Amino acid sequence: MKPIIKIALFVVFFVALGGILAALIMFNKKHVDTSKAKPDYVLTATALQKEFEENEKEASARYIKKIIEVSGDIASITPADSNNLNISLKTGNELSSVICTFPASGEALKLKPGDEVTLRGECSGFLMDVLLNNCATVGKRK
Amino acid sequence: MKRIFLLVLFASAVLAANAQKFITKNGYIGFFSHTAMEDIKGDNNQVVGVLDTSTGEMVFQALIKSFHFDRALMEEHFNENYMESDKIPKSVFKGKITNLSSVDFAKNGTYDVTVEGELTIHDVTNKISTKGTIEVVTGGINANAKFKIVPEDYKIAIPGVVREKINKDLEVTVTMKYTPIANK
Repeated sequence: MKPIIKIALFVVFFVALGGILAALIMFNKKHVDTSKAKPDYVLTATALQKEFEENEKEASARYIKKIIEVSGDIASITPADSNNLNISLKTGNELSSVICTFPASGEALKLKPGDEVTLRGECSGFLMDVLLNNCATVGKRK
Repeated sequence: MKRIFLLVLFASAVLAANAQKFITKNGYIGFFSHTAMEDIKGDNNQVVGVLDTSTGEMVFQALIKSFHFDRALMEEHFNENYMESDKIPKSVFKGKITNLSSVDFAKNGTYDVTVEGELTIHDVTNKISTKGTIEVVTGGINANAKFKIVPEDYKIAIPGVVREKINKDLEVTVTMKYTPIANK
């Protein structure tokens, strides 16, 4: 076999191996760990809700798919499906809050209404409330 | 005296009207697909649902980006390739309980209902009809339903290689726990 063909075969082999590895890594890609990830924005629940209420289009462009660290007082905690629970944070608006969906395990279970907390999650957008998913607790002050 | 009577009448009418509307912002909609190759499950716990017990009207709204999958890559494909959630962020259902008279909202219990309405996914609207239950409980109302949808009915294009991993029709589960609007 000519050396050039040998080298070519080697290259093809490694490219293929690299491709398979990359595909495997992609396939098993994990969700962002929001308890460790660096937030793109840090602000209060009141400020976040206000931005969406005043200009949903602009706020959507800025915040959706971004990691947001938000702080505020817990208004209510609602069990969602069997694996999750929703924590809603008070804002200046009685009818509209920031709703954060958590896995129903770990730190989130220790929280209760009235607690002042800092949470981190990925923003999905705005319906009646600002919605954050894949949330994790960052701190609790009360 | 007559004026006070009218005022009381008006006030009670307003109160009664309030008690007829129920809401949840923590509703659940999930879908499930089973094939020999793979099980796929998407969960959304941030569905807004409103139920008017006087007319039987039901409205649901959900953000596509609020659907959560075990695999991050699946969530990415769902949003970017199939649902195009940057362009079409919401799904909406507007419908009605067709056998409203068989539900006694004043009495705790579980009632079988049929709901008909229009479901909009991926900017395509189809009429759907499903059986479900209304459960009247102290302090609220629960609604449950299960039905099937076919992605192609909503112009969701799934390439051939991947299509085999996803069941022809998806099973959709709806679970709502409503509370009266007046309490919100």
